[in-house]
Amino acid sequence: MTKTVRPIVLTLGALAVVLPLLVVVFGTFKTLPQLFDSPLSPPSSPTLDNYRRAVDEGGLAAAFVNSAIVTAGAVVLTLAVASLAAFFCARVPGRVGWIVFGVLVAGLAVPAQAAIVPQYVLFDRLGLTDSLLGLVLVDTTMTLPTAVFILGGFLRSIPEELYEAAELDGAGPLRVFRSMALPLTRPALATTGIFLFVMDWNDLLYPLLFVRSHEHRTLPLALLDFQGEFLTQYPLLFAGVVIASAPVVVVYVLLQRFFVSGLTAGAVRG
Amino acid sequence: MSRSLPTRSLDRRSALRLFGAAGLGLGLAACAGPGGGSSSSATSASSSALATTGDIKGTVSFAHWRAEDKAVIADLIKAYRKKYPDAGVEQDISPSADYQSTALRRIQGSRTGDLFTAFRGAQFEQIVKAGVYAPLTGSDVVGAYQKSLIGPGASKGVQYGLPYQLVFNTPLANTDALDKAGHTGAPTDWDGFLQLLDDLKSKGYTPIAWPGGDSANAGQLLNTMVMNNAPSDDMFTKIESGEYKVTDDWFLTTLKQYGELTPYFQARATGSTTDAVTRLFAGGRAGLLATGSFQMAGVRALGAKFPFDLVAPITTTADKAKYEGVFNTTFILGVNSASDVQPAAYAFLAFLSDPANAGTYANATGQHVTVEGVDYTNADLKAVAPWLTRKTLLAPRFQFLNLDIRTAVENAAVAVVGGKKPAQAAEEAQRVIDQKRA
Amino acid sequence: MSSTRSARSRRAARALWWFPVPALALYLFFFAYPTVQAVQYALTDWDGYSATYDNVGLSSFTELATGDDVFRNAAANNLKLTLTVVLAQTALALLLALYLVRTTRASTLLRALFFLPTVLSSVSVAFVWRFVYDPDGGLLNSALRAVGAGSWQSVYLGNPDTAVFWLALTQVWFHVGQMMVVFIAGLQAIPRELYEAADLDGAGRWARFRYVTWPLVAPATGIVVAYTTVQSFKAFDLVLGLGGNPPGPALDLLSTRVYTTFSNNRFGYAAAQSLVFMALIALLTWVQRRAVRRAT
Repeated sequence: MTKTVRPIVLTLGALAVVLPLLVVVFGTFKTLPQLFDSPLSPPSSPTLDNYRRAVDEGGLAAAFVNSAIVTAGAVVLTLAVASLAAFFCARVPGRVGWIVFGVLVAGLAVPAQAAIVPQYVLFDRLGLTDSLLGLVLVDTTMTLPTAVFILGGFLRSIPEELYEAAELDGAGPLRVFRSMALPLTRPALATTGIFLFVMDWNDLLYPLLFVRSHEHRTLPLALLDFQGEFLTQYPLLFAGVVIASAPVVVVYVLLQRFFVSGLTAGAVRG
Repeated sequence: MSRSLPTRSLDRRSALRLFGAAGLGLGLAACAGPGGGSSSSATSASSSALATTGDIKGTVSFAHWRAEDKAVIADLIKAYRKKYPDAGVEQDISPSADYQSTALRRIQGSRTGDLFTAFRGAQFEQIVKAGVYAPLTGSDVVGAYQKSLIGPGASKGVQYGLPYQLVFNTPLANTDALDKAGHTGAPTDWDGFLQLLDDLKSKGYTPIAWPGGDSANAGQLLNTMVMNNAPSDDMFTKIESGEYKVTDDWFLTTLKQYGELTPYFQARATGSTTDAVTRLFAGGRAGLLATGSFQMAGVRALGAKFPFDLVAPITTTADKAKYEGVFNTTFILGVNSASDVQPAAYAFLAFLSDPANAGTYANATGQHVTVEGVDYTNADLKAVAPWLTRKTLLAPRFQFLNLDIRTAVENAAVAVVGGKKPAQAAEEAQRVIDQKRA
Repeated sequence: MSSTRSARSRRAARALWWFPVPALALYLFFFAYPTVQAVQYALTDWDGYSATYDNVGLSSFTELATGDDVFRNAAANNLKLTLTVVLAQTALALLLALYLVRTTRASTLLRALFFLPTVLSSVSVAFVWRFVYDPDGGLLNSALRAVGAGSWQSVYLGNPDTAVFWLALTQVWFHVGQMMVVFIAGLQAIPRELYEAADLDGAGRWARFRYVTWPLVAPATGIVVAYTTVQSFKAFDLVLGLGGNPPGPALDLLSTRVYTTFSNNRFGYAAAQSLVFMALIALLTWVQRRAVRRAT
């Protein structure tokens, strides 16, 4: 029986993933009536109008740049800060290392929504709301537990003897970290980096709370703004979706292995 | 480590106050009160006087939410600069949902929005309370507007802002379809309205296209459904205050009438999006589009060729019908009390209030304006212009200040269309109202 | 010589203690501290803009527990959503993993395909599915009409009784691939000899699954269930995109409820709601961990 069920399930599954996405991509080249009249057919008279309007009226170009800045900043900062902390936890024997690790990782159990308003107050006080720097800092903070968890696990798995040998050669901790731990951790860094990239690029909550001016919106926020009272138009929305998703999908196709391990490591953490 | 961070200076009370300032932005219904970030400005509601004279120079930041108007406003700005070479205007646009929630935070302290817009109702009131408006009472510009239409820009006798746009939250009608169904005049009572729907249906039309699945627009129909049923014009304010209940007869009647409309909506109406019903109506397949005149331009853009009119459901007998439709004035223009370039901001406001310029704006955007003496050349605006003098009620839907209560009331109507008994829907909504009433 | 070395190593050891400082600083100051503050706010009736407020003790929590139908409705929706997603997503992810565990060219391609939605943003996914569910010409109803099953057309999100299950379907579409990968890793860790032994015992397909696969994939199952629970319980962006802002009662969840309460300027109450939300997640995680432990 499996002989027949398996291909059916897999085909249906593949269709369920492909069809909606195909309709969206086709839809970006159609007018609204064309989309409603024949959602599944390829565009008969393709128009780039939706992309033009999404960029002009939706302000997606600026949002794209903001997302790139925030994501790059947050990923780099998180990796730097988290790998230092994870190195500490792996190198400091006994209770202290575990306590620091435990404190940092405890954040995994607390949903972001619990702290959003006091967080807003704090960032506002420091002049960090409505600023890209503020988003970098809050994204870094919120992804830190996961990053420390993944990197910590990896750094612990490096044999103690390797560290000791390096230290006997007279290398200080910073040198051990830079010239030994980091190179060995490269796969874990790539995995974590991809996880952070997806989280930061797609985050809506903090931009929604913090950003007030048009020029500081990130892509997900700009996209959500598309569904205004008088503005909603599927082809336009779809063009926005394609623009916002393109970078992630391209990177996914190129670096698939790290994506799968990154997002899975992000899940497995609990 | 904590020493290097300013944790300590954040004592509890000031933290809470800031917490409040923070919240200003979080609200959809946006926000009353004190300044965003600086605790000293808390509760200062005094508005400084408006400088209408002085050198007209500097760059005015014009904060608004209508991205679709960007081009025509840019044209107007060009003309303004020709008149005042030392001044300029930059548009700062955020789409409406965003603007609702963040405007006050953005304009406070005037980093943006020397001239800014506000939604009618909660947002306007809260900006007034926060002291961001430089009052316009007594300035020349007020005289350019139709007096009866700018009430939503005034509070306690002071004109703080000028509602610029006028829309009718009254169903849009395809008059070709109405003609074919044998109706040239609008129905004057409930039986006549149902008859119209019947005749439309027998001609193969969807009598009413209604976006029941889109909460932002599903509630537009409620405006006209209650305008004649309710015992007073501030019915929703009274529902929020507890004076009226949705279990009262007038509202139960309204819900029952929603039930009677059910067979005349498109199939599966409770899930319909605005996109879908607009498409249905623009394709000439529906008699009425139960949103409002603000969709005229959008329907045209989808290729509709038929002429428009407005037709409201008259829910009572003809002699009891006080109103023929509903209007709303919004896009309330105001000058920022903290602006460095007030004379230039005021000059731009005056420029927009000039009938010729207001006409340019109206005809390009396909929206009516509240400025007096405007010549509408856009055919659709012309067709609907007679409604400017008809008996219309200021849209009651925007009386709601509490989002939960508004959702409960509007959802009761949607639930009835979905098959729920009116009495039950009303009871459930009233429970929520009782719990959420402050 | 030995004394200089030990001095140097002591200095080196001290340098090591600076390593966690940036992380701890960010984490404690920007996350731990505000989380604790939320408790403080929950005990006030602060409205978000007044200069004054009262300490109201636990009355917000009493109101939540006894007199707030809207909150209870959101909590019920949350439970329905989470239960549905956990069951459906776990079962489907396991099924796909079983089908695709062997590495062939086709299965590698399919794995990549099923994983693809996970990398998209929730807002994007919400917009895609808004059109899928659009009752007048959206993808599902159009497809049903095209295959002659027009009578099966539905209003989807427009039916308050079933809306949350359609939301669950979207969530499953979004993340089933991610969980499939966890299961594949778990399945690949099962020693081949065990299956060979089972084959020698003449075990059928079902027996192989029941006595070899299921018990040995249990750690992966635990991870999948735990992660899915929390992930679906926290759904926020997806609802705002699919149900509008604020979403109607049929799609209101605890996360959106907290946000709407902020919007209504009831800050103290919103803080109380967010704490209850947090406690519910903790409780659910605990219960479901025990359940998984007992089942395996």
